[in-house]
Amino acid sequence: GDSWGIFTFLCAALCNLPALPALNCTEELGPGRSIQKTYDLTRYLEHQLRTLAGTYLNYLGPPFNEPDFNPPRLARAERVPSATVDLDLWRGLTDNARLAANYRAYSRVLCSLRALDAQGTAELRHRLGHFCSSLQGLVLSIAGVMSSLGYPLPAGPPASPGGAPAQPGGAAPNDFLKKMDDFWLLKELQTWLWRSAKDFNRLKKKVPPAVVTLRMEARGF
Amino acid sequence: ESHIQYERVGADVTMKCGSMDWDSAVTWTANGTDIDESHLNGSYLILKNVDLTQSGQYSCYEGSSWHLKYQTYLRVGVPPKEPVLMCRSNNYPKGFYCSWHLPTPTYIPNSFNISVIHGTREMVCEKDVFLKNRCHIRYLQLFSTVKYKVTLTVTNALGKSSTTLTFDEFAIVKPDPPESVVAKPVPNNPRRLEVSWQNPSSWPDPESFPLKFFLRYRPLILDQWQHVELSDGTSHTITDAYAGKEYIIQVAAKDNDIGTWSDWSVAVHATPWTEEPKHLTTEAQITETTSTSTSSFMPPPTTKICDKGAVVGSGAVAVCWTAGLVLAAYGILFI
Repeated sequence: GDSWGIFTFLCAALCNLPALPALNCTEELGPGRSIQKTYDLTRYLEHQLRTLAGTYLNYLGPPFNEPDFNPPRLARAERVPSATVDLDLWRGLTDNARLAANYRAYSRVLCSLRALDAQGTAELRHRLGHFCSSLQGLVLSIAGVMSSLGYPLPAGPPASPGGAPAQPGGAAPNDFLKKMDDFWLLKELQTWLWRSAKDFNRLKKKVPPAVVTLRMEARGF
Repeated sequence: ESHIQYERVGADVTMKCGSMDWDSAVTWTANGTDIDESHLNGSYLILKNVDLTQSGQYSCYEGSSWHLKYQTYLRVGVPPKEPVLMCRSNNYPKGFYCSWHLPTPTYIPNSFNISVIHGTREMVCEKDVFLKNRCHIRYLQLFSTVKYKVTLTVTNALGKSSTTLTFDEFAIVKPDPPESVVAKPVPNNPRRLEVSWQNPSSWPDPESFPLKFFLRYRPLILDQWQHVELSDGTSHTITDAYAGKEYIIQVAAKDNDIGTWSDWSVAVHATPWTEEPKHLTTEAQITETTSTSTSSFMPPPTTKICDKGAVVGSGAVAVCWTAGLVLAAYGILFI
C-alpha cells in the first residue's frame, strides 16, 4: 500500500536523476575554494599582463620595449611595495601577513594603473581599463579570503589617486623619468603575480579543507 | 731554459736562436728531426703559414759544438670564438647554475672567467665540484624584479671572447626530469597501464613549489604520441591502451606556474595485462572444467559509480549519486 507508493516514488526519482539538471548539490564557498579562485585569478592576470605590458612598453618606445633592457633601480619613491623578499622570511610569513602583503600590493598597483598615462591609442586605453577591472576583482577576492579566515583588512590605499608624486610643472608624456616609473610599475606587478601564485599555493596547503554543505533542490516535484 | 710559444694558424713565425747573432751557424730541429736550411734566414728559423701539425718542440744547436742554445715549444692554435653559455634553475628556489663550452676547439689552453651581476651586486658563482665548465649561484632573495646579468669571458694566449646572458629569476626555471618512472599492467584489465614516478630529487621543495607533469605514451608500433597533463599527483592510469601491445611511456615535469618543461624522463616499456590463453582439453576434462567454471563464474567487478576513472565532473555530482542510491536503499528497506 503506502510503502509500495513510496518505493515507486523513489524509483521514479532515481530513474529521473540523470534527466534532472536542476538537482543542485552546491557547496558553500569555504576559504579553500576562495583561495583556489584567487590563485586562478592571478594566473589569468599574469597572462593578460603579458599582452598589456607589451603594448604599453611599445607605446613608451625604446629602450623600454627592448627585451634586454635592464636599468638600475633609481632611488625614487616606490609606488608599490616590492615583492622581493628573503626566502626564509617568505617561508615564515603567517597566513595573515602573506594575504595582507598581497592585498596591499595589488591595491596600490590598481591605484597607480588607473593614474597611468594612457594617451596612446584607444586600444591601449581599452586594454588598460579591462585589466584594471580584473585587478579589482583580484583585490576583492583577496579581501574575501581574508574575511572568511577572520583577518582584518589592512588600511586602504591613500585617498588621493595613488600614482607618482606630482611633478613640478606637470608630468609630460615624454618625461623620461616618468616612463621609467611606469616601466618599474609593470615590472613590479609582473613579479607580484608570479609571487602570488606561490603565496596562494602555500595558503592552499595550510588552510583547512572547505566545509561542504549539501543543498539538494529537486525541482519539478 | 724552455719556453712556450703560442701562434695563430696561418701566421708566419720567426724563431731566434736565443742570444746567438744572426750570422751564427746553427742547426734547428723540430721534435728531434733536423730542419732543412731552406727554412733558415741566417740563424733565424722561418715558418710560414703555420698549421696545427707544426706544433712541437723546436731546438737550436750551435753549429760545431752542438750545444743546445735555445728550445721552445710551439703551440699552434686559434683565438677563442664566442662561447656558448646556458643558465638554468633546476633547484628553484635555491638558486641556479651556469654551464658553458666553446663551439669550436682552440687547440691551446683556455681560461674562463664568469661574472654574475644582480642590480648593483656582484654575486659569487661557486665552481662545480665535478664539472669544470659549470658554477652555481645561490639566491639571496626571491621574487626579484631586477634581472641577472651573467658574463662569461674565455681567454687564451691568442685572444679573448665573451658572451652575456640577461634574464629574470623566473625565466630560467626548468626542473630535471621525473625519476623512477614505473609502468605496470593492471590485472584483469587489458586496456590499462598504471604509471607512477617521483619528483626529481634536485627539486628541493615540492610542497611550496609544486610540480605539474606531462605524460606521453604510444604503442611501439605507432609513431603518434598521446599526451596527458596532470596538475598534481605522481601517478596516472592509462585506460585506453591497445590490448596486448607494448607501450613506451615518458614523463616530464614543470613548476606549476613558472619556467619551462623539463626534458623527457627515461622511457619505460610496459604491456597491458592479457588473459592466459586457454589450453585444448579432452572430453573428460571438459565436464570437469564446465562445472568448476560455473561455480567460479563471477560477474565482472562493478565499477563504483563514484570511481575516479568513471566520474567526469565535480565531486558534488558523485555525492549526488551516492545520496540517490542511499535513498533508494532506504526506500526498499521501508517496503
